Amino acid sequence: MQKFLPSLVMAALSVSLTGCLQSEQQDAKVLINKNPYPSTYQALPKQNTLIKNATVLTGTGERIDNADVLMVDGKISQIGSALSAVDAVEIDAQGKWITPGIIDVHSHLGVYPSPSVESHSDGNEMSSPNTSEVWAEHSVWPQDPGFEAARAGGITTLQILPGSANLFGGRGVTLRNVPSQTMQGMKFPAAPYGLKMACGENPKRVYGGRKVLPSTRMGNMAGYRMAWAEATEYKRAWEKYDADYAAGKNPEAPVRDIELDTLKGVLDGEILIHNHCYKAEEMAMMIDLGKEFNYHSGTFHHGIEAYKIADTLAENGNCAAMWPDWWGFKMEAYDMVHENVAIVDAVKNSCAIVHSDSANTIQRLNQEAGKVMYRANENGFEIKPELAITWITQNAAKSLGLAEKTGSLQKGKNADVVIWNQNPFSVYAQAEQVFVDGAKVYDRHDEKYQAKSDFLLGQR
Amino acid sequence: MKHLKLFKSSLIALALASSTASFAQSIAITNATVHTVTEQGVLNNATVIIEDGKVTAINPESVTADTVIDAEGKILTPGFIGSMNQLGLVEVGAVSRSRDAGDKKADITFDASLAFNPRSTVIPYSRKGGITSNVVVPRGGESMFKGQTFVADLSGEFDSVRVSNNAVIIDLGAKSKGSRALDLQKLQVKFEDATKKLAKAKKKAKDAKDKKEAKEPSREDKVINALLAGDKALVAYADRATDLLALLKLKETFSLDLVFVGAADSVLIADKIAQAKVPVVMAALDNLPGSFDSLHASLENAAKLTSAGVNVALTVDGDTHNLYQLRFHAGNAVANGLSRDAALAAVTANVADAFNVDSGRIAVGKTADLVLWSADPFELSSHVAKIWIGGKEVSTQSRQDKLRDRYMKQSNMPKSYLK
Repeated sequence: MQKFLPSLVMAALSVSLTGCLQSEQQDAKVLINKNPYPSTYQALPKQNTLIKNATVLTGTGERIDNADVLMVDGKISQIGSALSAVDAVEIDAQGKWITPGIIDVHSHLGVYPSPSVESHSDGNEMSSPNTSEVWAEHSVWPQDPGFEAARAGGITTLQILPGSANLFGGRGVTLRNVPSQTMQGMKFPAAPYGLKMACGENPKRVYGGRKVLPSTRMGNMAGYRMAWAEATEYKRAWEKYDADYAAGKNPEAPVRDIELDTLKGVLDGEILIHNHCYKAEEMAMMIDLGKEFNYHSGTFHHGIEAYKIADTLAENGNCAAMWPDWWGFKMEAYDMVHENVAIVDAVKNSCAIVHSDSANTIQRLNQEAGKVMYRANENGFEIKPELAITWITQNAAKSLGLAEKTGSLQKGKNADVVIWNQNPFSVYAQAEQVFVDGAKVYDRHDEKYQAKSDFLLGQR
Repeated sequence: MKHLKLFKSSLIALALASSTASFAQSIAITNATVHTVTEQGVLNNATVIIEDGKVTAINPESVTADTVIDAEGKILTPGFIGSMNQLGLVEVGAVSRSRDAGDKKADITFDASLAFNPRSTVIPYSRKGGITSNVVVPRGGESMFKGQTFVADLSGEFDSVRVSNNAVIIDLGAKSKGSRALDLQKLQVKFEDATKKLAKAKKKAKDAKDKKEAKEPSREDKVINALLAGDKALVAYADRATDLLALLKLKETFSLDLVFVGAADSVLIADKIAQAKVPVVMAALDNLPGSFDSLHASLENAAKLTSAGVNVALTVDGDTHNLYQLRFHAGNAVANGLSRDAALAAVTANVADAFNVDSGRIAVGKTADLVLWSADPFELSSHVAKIWIGGKEVSTQSRQDKLRDRYMKQSNMPKSYLK
């Protein structure tokens, strides 16, 4: 994105030069920097690595037994048997399993960190039902000890989202799970932003209590529609400005609106929707809402009732991120079934994801996916580990707009890799080594690779 | 009065007789791998006889029973015992009219068993986790005493409350307003005052001069007195080591039957806790420093405490609806260093012992709360094959199964017609 900007500026300049000749004097073009807090992430010190003799789940639905995985220059270079490489560290992984790095599409690490003291409660800007102007990245505390706990569970990439109090909660950010002093140092390079939306009980409860719209589900819908209508006007105003400027006129730029910038980003297809939405009838309406305003309704998070509309989700290209077994904490979470993820997954062109929304279960997304697989198999499914792993790797990467970079062990993809001591879908499974971009970031048996947050240093 | 009582008990006897007639069937579970959680350890190819709700024999010389179930070598364990949740007191967490676990005015005498709903959908669902009984804990109100625990089985029957008012809950430690010191001070004073009052009453009773009947202690005082007499356990939620130490001191001074819950920093003083024989009820998966009271939370704490000699009982923290996951928590504790036997005890016998419950072991005379597992009870891949509560086989079918089946069936009519 950064590389892209100067050429844009150049184009604008050249347009303004030619424009001059035809008509009035043009002011400098007003440009919006879409990446003002750019990633400074760099892979940790890395070595080419050859992992030998493992059971490999590629994340693309394949399983390869007795396979070797070669990581070169931070990328997956080769998967096969009897591989050899010069200048590569060899790891004998006999009896062990290898998967892509685990991805959680729904986390509040850093914005609701441990310890959960008031001063750290930075995840929900509960001051207006539409806070599209806030960005979760501005709340991230990189020293949250939850990041290192998640790393020990094989998490290499995670999306940090604002909470669900608002209809529009703000932008989410995707991070690499590496230690850093700054949020920018963790930011996944060139990952698209997410926009957190929320259906149902939370917004109507929070604002209904203040006698502000929404206090009902129809109020929720009205709130989204009014916002998208306004964003549509905003987008049109900028497009008119761009067109007029290109035509050599000297138009006045629209007044910059940080809130509408985010919604416009969605309408422009640059920002992906991540929608907290439990219920079948609400997800179906959110899909139509996207069609009404010409954007894609994205990924539904906490889709407790996704199994009721599995066909609709697949037809419309929506991912659904789900828990295996959380339920009953509120009315919209009452109709949970253990097989939810499996039922959603079974439809052609589906995108089923297991997510955590928890600083605790993010450490065991492998087990969360395992629970679904086994319960489903007890009830007529025949799901194998090579499929179940896609729920926490490839499908999650797709939801985040990162499927080209991570989420599967394929030549040329980022070398995000986990070595498990056994089948990861066992309660006794543990991540032994975790790699991000080919660099080892965690080793269960080597303290040198066990990071400790500043917060815990000296007191634990 | 006496006659009336007699009459009543004979009625009960009659009722019992008739109910036994209907289900006094004896059951023999043969060829099971029986994890007794007693000194007998694991018995292979073993037979367990159930009659009248109890285990009546293990490996009898000859097997005579109305029903014989061949376990085919599968693992038979005591039913797992849940604790520290609001089972039967909450249907939907955020629906206030489905919640009965707390009340602003609730005090030390609060008996939430009166609100227990055996028809809650959380109960059959929790049976999927092999849970046969549960120590229900009220949330209380503004007082540091949150009320009293009760024990219910998961049969779903209207008589499933087994014991009410069996322990007193107290919540100590960090506070968002005020100081933890005041709670500790109040607690100390309460016990001191009650001890003095008891001594005074005793003296009064001795001095025959005073013919007036001694004043009946208040309901609240009676509960405190029961704690002092060791008739009830004091179950204390506390995390920081200093709070735990303060409680150990109170235990020593007043001979309390003390149980710790949470106890995130207990590893710092594991030896002292072991010496004082105070059981620790903890969440195996609670490993983040949620507050300055719990900096030492770790996945390895269950193992560390156990090897220091502490009796550890495992609980699922957070939402009551997650109770069924208890067996997976035990599995994770094993993955982090706890022995399998200790993990099994931590979800059966140790819970029973901490709360004085008559189950949690497979032994003659014990309540027949039993689970036959398809395989390793702690594994994600296993499931409950059969489950008995009070000697009666119960189902693990829940509302969730009905929903799944409805939405997996094909029909050209709306799903609502599929029942």
